[in-house]
Amino acid sequence: MALTNFIEARRLQYAYLKNKNNWALNQIDLDVHPSEYLLICGASGSGKSTLCRTFNGLIPHFYQGVLRGQVTVAGTPTTELSVADLFARVAMVFQNPEAQLFNRSVEMEIAFGLESVGLPRAEIKRRIAESTDLTGLTEFLPRNPHALSSGEQQLVAITAMLALRPRIIVLDEPYANLDPSNVRRVRNALKALHQQQIGIVVCEHRLPYTLSDAQRMVAVKAGAIVLNGPPAETLLQNIQDCGLEMPLAPSIGHRLAIRPLPLDVKTLEEKAAGQNYPIDLKPELLPPFARNHPVVLEVQNVVSKLGESTILQDVSFTLSRGECLAIVGANGAGKTTLLKHLIGLQRPSRGQIRVMGQDSAQAKVSQLARYVGVAFQNPDNQFFKLTVWDEITVGAKALNRYDPGWLQELVELFRLEPLLNRSPYRLSGGEKKRVAFAAALAGQPAILALDEPTAGQDYTFRRALGRILTQLRERGQAIVLVTHDLSFAERYAHRWLLLAEGRVVVDGRPWEVMSNANAMQQASLEPTDAFRLYARGHA
Amino acid sequence: MRSGCMRGVMLDPRTKLVLALFYAILIVASQATAWLAAELGVLLLIVLIMQKGRAYLRWLRMLLPMALFFGAVVWWSIDWPAAVDAAMKLITLTSTFFVFFSATTPDEMGDSLVKVRLPYTVAFVFSTALQFVPVVGRKAKNVFDAQRARGIPVEPGWSSLRNYPAFLTPLLIQAFKLAEELAEAMEARGFGRPHRSFLKEYKLRTVDWLALAGGLLVLAAVLFLQGTN
Repeated sequence: MALTNFIEARRLQYAYLKNKNNWALNQIDLDVHPSEYLLICGASGSGKSTLCRTFNGLIPHFYQGVLRGQVTVAGTPTTELSVADLFARVAMVFQNPEAQLFNRSVEMEIAFGLESVGLPRAEIKRRIAESTDLTGLTEFLPRNPHALSSGEQQLVAITAMLALRPRIIVLDEPYANLDPSNVRRVRNALKALHQQQIGIVVCEHRLPYTLSDAQRMVAVKAGAIVLNGPPAETLLQNIQDCGLEMPLAPSIGHRLAIRPLPLDVKTLEEKAAGQNYPIDLKPELLPPFARNHPVVLEVQNVVSKLGESTILQDVSFTLSRGECLAIVGANGAGKTTLLKHLIGLQRPSRGQIRVMGQDSAQAKVSQLARYVGVAFQNPDNQFFKLTVWDEITVGAKALNRYDPGWLQELVELFRLEPLLNRSPYRLSGGEKKRVAFAAALAGQPAILALDEPTAGQDYTFRRALGRILTQLRERGQAIVLVTHDLSFAERYAHRWLLLAEGRVVVDGRPWEVMSNANAMQQASLEPTDAFRLYARGHA
Repeated sequence: MRSGCMRGVMLDPRTKLVLALFYAILIVASQATAWLAAELGVLLLIVLIMQKGRAYLRWLRMLLPMALFFGAVVWWSIDWPAAVDAAMKLITLTSTFFVFFSATTPDEMGDSLVKVRLPYTVAFVFSTALQFVPVVGRKAKNVFDAQRARGIPVEPGWSSLRNYPAFLTPLLIQAFKLAEELAEAMEARGFGRPHRSFLKEYKLRTVDWLALAGGLLVLAAVLFLQGTN
């Protein structure tokens, strides 16, 4: 395929003003062709988002810093163009949908960029109709973007960029907060755009979501490009060294010497028909939980209503000491609402919750907080102290459960020693999560509840969190994971509570739940790759 | 208009703004308690027609302490009839703008300001600030929940006053972060580029001119009647 470059980076170096001595990008040479599908991957903090921001001129025009080398778009250096000159050619979709949607309706959201270009009204209307046709959002035009699901919001952001008819759309971690069904929607939309000859650049560290869609992958490590080539060839090199997890399908394909490497489960199944998959690649699942441990949490027939709508319907389950339960389901299934009921932040309309034998309806939130330590998805919601140490201890002091010995154990468990005197706000995303988890445990609660603990986190963090959860479980800690990250929950939870539209569809061991195809479909979830490959008798 | 029975009445946002200003002048000029009561009554009727009763009550719950405090100050410095008038005037005046903002979306508000020749960037910042009030409200709720879940009391009240930094610090930092992300997203969509066009077209139609003329007439008549009493 003969392609001319649309974006070219040459000897590109960039350092943010607040960290001038550290190159966020270092000696980058990269060509991006129009109409190609490029995956830029790397661990958190590797520089992939920074690299993306050089393509549309946000670096150097919006961010202040030191820039060396150059980036050209269609032959013109971005230093000679403004973001306003570039945005209709290299469109960018950001990670946080909440901040990039700032109009009252989807229609006005899509119109915003077209109005910026100064297009006549009739042309704006035509482009809105054309782009929403392509992404299937026509019915959403009058709706408020902030009232949509996160997947729908990402689609609105993509449609708003698509309407500009850019040569390339750059997406920064588009799947960070999406559940599997929304990931599927966004992936399908991107594939459709690519078929229309629009270039797609996706920055992502979750390889299973993008490998089979991309024509080329570039791995970034410490601000430098270390791997560059077609995914099936690049995966043969050491991607773990870049903080990336090798997906299961290519791992098995590699071991079975299948070339080119299969990039997804479907291709692997086609190419390895009749072969047994290597048993040592099968993920280790937790053994069945022995039900002879004391029960710490009982939820009985809980119903939760908000106005006219029912958020939770007849939810019942128990949790024992040393058990890890994952509450799984798609976005909006009622998982976080259920979590809030455990700590008394929301009260059941009907039914009962007993925490350590105490009826939660009779207890204040501050009393329940002694038994249930919660870390919500966004750690920034809780940080207000100047140092990590103060942040971890403040909750324990408020609960009159300050125990220096236990806090020191937590510091060791979460490997926080080097961070103790730093401001929590200056930490990386993964470090912030570790501080929030330690803070949740500081009051020595019987139950630890983590809300979407792996959302937006890379392989290194997930592995470290898995290790910590294992250690906590072995000490007898009861754990509740609220997540739509099934491959994580599959490895680290004894049991899954599958929620769909506020109801428990199945309660059982991970592979039991996934083997119930109707329930999975009802919950808009797909089985993990491991389940699909190993539960069908190939091993 | 956005809701209930008012949905059919499609006034230009500029008309709504001018009518709200006429009403505000009327309230400020009213000296008798009976007139203020009547003006408040008209507003309550509009609130009911718009089916905004619940929202109004929630808003009134926040406003009442301020109105009572204001009335108490006036009572202490003048007398109680003046205090009643002052508190009623505050409630009626702010109710006018409750009705206006309930009937006008932030976008319409921003567009109408552009139409009265305010620079687009200024009008957009104004309307976007209104647009993001619910977003910041959700963030405030999340911070509130996160701190309570740690056993840090941040509920309103004197006893938890010393814990307010636990609520305000994360909220402010997140609001700044949101503002930064928003600015970046707007930059990436060509905000501030010259020669902008507009999808929505606002034109003063017959119904707007009739409403404006009617509003002016009512204002003049009521002021005249109040003057002769």
